[in-house]
Amino acid sequence: MTRINVTPIIDVALVLVIILLITAPMLSVADLDIELPQAHARDTEDTVFVSITLGAHGEVAVDDHVLSGPQALAAAVRDRFAADDRDDLLVVVRADSRLPHAAVRAAMNAARDGGALRLAVATRQGGQP
Amino acid sequence: MRRWNESRESAGGTSDVNLTPLIDVSLVLVVILLLATPLAFESSFAVRRAEAAARAATDENRTARIEVAVLSADSVRVNRAVMPSADLGRALEPLIERSPDGVVAVSCRDSVPHGSFVAALDAIKLSGAQDIAVTGR
Repeated sequence: MTRINVTPIIDVALVLVIILLITAPMLSVADLDIELPQAHARDTEDTVFVSITLGAHGEVAVDDHVLSGPQALAAAVRDRFAADDRDDLLVVVRADSRLPHAAVRAAMNAARDGGALRLAVATRQGGQP
Repeated sequence: MRRWNESRESAGGTSDVNLTPLIDVSLVLVVILLLATPLAFESSFAVRRAEAAARAATDENRTARIEVAVLSADSVRVNRAVMPSADLGRALEPLIERSPDGVVAVSCRDSVPHGSFVAALDAIKLSGAQDIAVTGR
């Protein structure tokens, strides 16, 4: 008999499905070129969150939707919360490390105006200090 | 022998395993891992509402409050003492040990780069702060 052993293929395919299930929420962030600030400590472990991405040149995005400008941020966050059943979703601000703090604070205030109850600042994990 | 080979080919072709689907799936796996790896190294700090911190200031003993102001990329103020950013952790540890709730209120000047602000948050967290409240609107 020349039957092909399909077990490895099914094995790999199932691993692929599991990886996709795990990484799908992580991949729902905007594809903007940002340099996150590095940090050693880590705090929040939420796997489902709303991301606000602030690029070095003024680009703003909520999850993977790029907005026309910062003035549209509060409305976009409000729409995102309206589309979800949970109102305690963590909002993670992913800002470029070169941005002035004023821009980040404005984004955090807009997120609060949009209904965010829990806020976090994204960092790039830098190992042990 | 020749007849055996002929009959084998005519019965079902060669018996080589088709590796194409396996390689296909494996390459997709590699691409997904390449995309997801930078995101897997992302983390975040939770920050409390500024309003809540302001309320806490009126309720709690003011002497127990810890206030950090990020003045520039390399200088901070802890309560009333101005110091280099590098000394922030060392200055905070005894204050946090004495603090009843471990809450640190942080403010930052508008022009300070976000990276310096996060470096201060990192030092505060590593000093043992339970909660970080970002003030200023």
